[in-house]
This record gives sequence, structure tokens and C-alpha cells, in this order.
Amino acid sequence: MITIKGVRKTYKAGDTEVKALRGIDLEIHKGEFISIAGPSGSGKTTLLNLIGCIDTVDEGKITIDEEVVTELDKEAKTSYRRNKLGFIFQSYNLIPVLTAYENVALSLQLLGLKEKEIKERTMTILKEVGLEGMEDRRPAKLSGGQQQRVAVARALVKNPLIVLADEPTANLDSHTGEEILKLMKKMNEKHGTTFIFSTHDKMVMEYASRLVSIHDGEFTSDERR
Amino acid sequence: MNFVFKMAVKNLFRYGRRTIITASAIALGIMCFILMDSLLKGLDEDSQRNLIWYETGSAGFFDPEYWGDREMLPLDRPVADSGELVAELRDRNIDAVSRIDFAGDLIIYKDPFPEDGNLQVKVTGIDVEHDSDVFRLKDNVAQGRYLKAGEEGVLMGQWLARDLGAEVGYPLTIVTKTMDGYFQTLDLEIVGILESENPVVNRYGMYVPLDTVRYALDMDDYATGVYVSLPRGDREAAALQSLEPLAAERGLDLLDWRVLGADYVALAETKRSGSSSILFLVFLIAAVGISNTILMSIFERIRELGMMRAMGMRNRSILGMFVIEASGIGFLGSLGGVILGALVNLYLVNTGIDYSEMFESGDMGYRISAIGYGTWDPNTFILAFVLGTVMALVVAFLPTRRALKLEIPVCLRYN
Repeated sequence: MITIKGVRKTYKAGDTEVKALRGIDLEIHKGEFISIAGPSGSGKTTLLNLIGCIDTVDEGKITIDEEVVTELDKEAKTSYRRNKLGFIFQSYNLIPVLTAYENVALSLQLLGLKEKEIKERTMTILKEVGLEGMEDRRPAKLSGGQQQRVAVARALVKNPLIVLADEPTANLDSHTGEEILKLMKKMNEKHGTTFIFSTHDKMVMEYASRLVSIHDGEFTSDERR
Repeated sequence: MNFVFKMAVKNLFRYGRRTIITASAIALGIMCFILMDSLLKGLDEDSQRNLIWYETGSAGFFDPEYWGDREMLPLDRPVADSGELVAELRDRNIDAVSRIDFAGDLIIYKDPFPEDGNLQVKVTGIDVEHDSDVFRLKDNVAQGRYLKAGEEGVLMGQWLARDLGAEVGYPLTIVTKTMDGYFQTLDLEIVGILESENPVVNRYGMYVPLDTVRYALDMDDYATGVYVSLPRGDREAAALQSLEPLAAERGLDLLDWRVLGADYVALAETKRSGSSSILFLVFLIAAVGISNTILMSIFERIRELGMMRAMGMRNRSILGMFVIEASGIGFLGSLGGVILGALVNLYLVNTGIDYSEMFESGDMGYRISAIGYGTWDPNTFILAFVLGTVMALVVAFLPTRRALKLEIPVCLRYN
């Protein structure tokens, strides 16, 4: 379903060139719960950004459901992200002035859905992630784990093809991190959504049904469990 | 678009502290702009009014040869049959009055003055009965009394009197020349001290009954000028035009207050360009303050902006949202500034600012002695309001557009 072929990406920092990805090939199937594992600077986030259409490849192509997303123009990429992709970030990236409900509902408002449907779907997903009764709290009034649950709900509420999670537990204690992983796994199983998450935490890797290791921009192993 | 607008309005109130701080900065800038404009225009308007009320009238009839040498105060180029001209003007329902301006040497003696001395002065002969039809001196007698026809009395400006140590009842002598060039001496008594809104009256003013002057200077029915009072504004030009044939018929020049007060008008022009620079500076300071606070509020939200883009929100929607928010802040700030400006301006218009020490110690060019009042100019309020709102919109547009050009991962990492 996701085909990554010969993808290269180099960043320039002043005179220095950093080769983030050095010709990556990978196939990911629908409904997989896949972890991209590797140390800091190995290229995990770059890969997620490229799959998520928020960065551009230097070489190679990425195909999702037979659509070559690397060839889409800016507007089409925006539309693709809006309709097909969900994001979860290490630092949650919730909008601070919006309540938990509003942060989640924003994904659906962008799709132009009717208010009634938005309300139904948002309340359902908030209940699923265990935030029932906390809809009106703003991020500052939620714990780290609760904020990440909001982020998970926000990513999932629109039933995306893929959820991309960049080190989703890195800012959480191990217990809360595990809860989030369980939640993500539950959602993966319940909705059949493909989850691709990056990590360098061994505990997190344990939850993955497939573990792809990356080092210095190249895959070093691909292990199915 | 409805969603974008709603979200922008929501943000406006939810980022309450930022909205208040930024709107306050805008309000302060707008208020300063309004007040500065009000004060400068007020000084200008009051100066024009005082120039007309105390020095020039709306216009004057003069011998064509007189005006070129007016600095010398010549008596040999007068308006002949001035009484007849005044009567004709009054027949046309135009208030008119004759005056004689002449130069003299003021001589004072140690007793009762503090010391002996002499001083070059300009003395004005005024028609005691009718001068107040055109000028406002009569209302300005602070000590003593107004002149009586035919008396050998003089009204003196209060600053001049203070400098000379003069008081009501003190005698003084003026040595001058008659219309035919003979020396003449006028022995006069100070009958009143004038406290005027016009500093020229306070600093230089000496006024003697017209009939006394005519007798002393052998000027019969002559005057150095015949002054008229006309309605101000649009009707003034029409009235002046209607008087042109009369002036031509009598071989006189009709000069309006802009020509008669040319020194002030020229100075006012210079001051006006200075005032524009001050206003521009005030505007610039306000603009920098507004830009700075709005810029800060945008840069501290770059991660948020990155997240919205990652979620698939269109750049134009994000731009629209930020611009609507900024316009909202600009609108609230401008509204606050206009209200604050109006409230403070109410005080400036009714009570004013006392500049008496400043204007007494030096000639600032303005024809105001003490209180400078503000003025109401609806155009300034509208301009300030529109500028405040548009400026907020513009200063939000550019940095938001710049932020939207950043790569999304850069936005998401932004600190």
C-alpha cells in the first residue's frame, strides 16, 4: 500500500550537508503497526515527514494507494494531508487556546463536515481515548498523557489511511507512554488504520508488529513479529 | 471561510492577554496621534482667529503705496475720506472701522516708572465707539478702563506694561511725526492694561483714541487702513469679491487677513510642515509599536501555524485567519484609541493646556497668549481609526506570509 523507492534527502546547514536518507526502499501494508527505530539523527523523522507530505524528497518516490504523493503539488499535498493522514507529535502540538474537543473537531471542520456529524464523531473518539468529561479542558489543564490522547484522537477522528507518529511517547513517563501505545494499538486493531511511528525506546519497539531499524539514513534491519 | 472567521474571532478572545496588550499599544498610538493633531490644529485655528480678532480684521482697504512700506508705518499714504468709506461699508451691512498705525518714540521718566527710558513703539489709533465692531480689544481690559473718545489716554498690553513697570494712571510721552512730517509730542495717561488672547497685543500693544491721534497728527478724515469684519469660511471669499469693485472705484487695495498677517501665515505654513513631521513621527512610533507586538504574537504561534498546515489547512485560510485576527486587534485598538482620544480631547477642547509661561518668555509665532485648546476634527478620528486597523492588517499579512513560506517541519520545530 505504501511504497518507498530510492528515496534520498539531504539537508544543508550552512556549508555542511547532512545526508538524512541515502536511498531508502520500503513497502508498508495496510493496517500495519510499524515502528521505525533508530538513534537520534538516523533519519526517522525525515522519513515520516516525507511519507506525511510535509517535506519533499530530493530523489526517489513514495506511492500511497497507487498515488505518487512525491509528485503532488503543494495544494494537492495539503489536500492529501487533510483527507488521508493523521499526525501525532512528540510535543503534542495541540492548539493552546482550543479545548480538547475543539482541537479534535478542527480536523473534521477542515473537511467541511456538518456540525452535527463533527460533534458525534468527536465525542465518540474522545470517549474511545478515555477523555470523556474532559472535552472542555484546554491543553494547559491536561496532563502530558491526556494531551497525547487528544493528539491521538485528533489524528484518528477523520479515519485517515495512515497515522504518522513521531516519537509519540518521548515526552511521557514510561507508564503513560505504555498507555498511549496500548491506545494506539487498540485503535490500529479496531479501525484498521496503518500506524507508522518512530522511536528509539526499546519498550515502544516491543509493541510494533514490524520493526524497521534505520541508521545514518539507511535501513539496517526489517523484522516482522 | 465561515469556519476561518469563527476561529479568528475565537482566537481574538482566547489569546486575551495578547489581544489586550496589542490593542492597548494600538490605542495608545492612535490616541497620541489624535491628541497631537488636535493640539496642533487647535493652536493653528486659534491663532488665525486671534490674528483676525486683534490685528487684521477679515480684510482691510489700503492705499496701494502703503502696503509695500508697511514696516515703516508711513502716514503719507493714507486712505482718504475714510469716514465715507466706513459709512458706505456699513450701508452694505458690513462692519467696518478706521485705524491709524504710526511709529513713535515712547519716553518714560523715573517717577513714577522704575527708571527713565525710551523705546520705539507702534501705536494704533482706534475708533473708540466702533472698533469693537471689527476687533475684540474692548473685552480685554484687565485693569483700569476702556478708552473714551477724545481723551489723551492709552491702553497698554500687559507684558509691555510689566516690562516697563507701568500701571494704570501713569503718564507717558510719545514723540512722533505728523502726516506732513513735523515732530509732534503726545502726552498720554495709561487708562487701562490689556490682557489679550493674542500675545502681540500683550507684548507690543498701545492703543489711543482715533480722534486724539487724528488731531495730533493732522490727519482729519484719514486712516492708514479701513478694516472690515466678514463671515468666515466659504462666505468670506464671496464677500471679498463683492468688495473688490468698491476698492477699485476708490483706487485702494483690498487685502485679506492672509496678506495682512502674511508673517504669521508664512510661519504657520512652516509650522504646519513641522507639525506634519511630528504627526508622522507619532504615527511611526505607533506603527513600530503595533508592528512589534503583532510580529511577536505571530512568531510565538509559528508551531501552531505549522500544525495547522500539517493537518491540511490551506495557506490562504491560515493567512486569512491571522489577518482577520490582527484586523480584529487593530479594530479594537483603534476603537479604544478613538474613544480614549475623544475623552482626553474633550478636556483639551474645553479646558486646554496653559502655555502662558512658554508663550510669555518667547515669541513662538502662534497668536496665543496662554491657553492652547484642542479642536474636533472628525476626519482625524476617521483617519486614525482606519490607519490603526489597516496597519494591524498589513503588519500581520507580511510576517504571516513569510511564516507560511517556512517548511512545515521547520515550523513544527520552531521555538
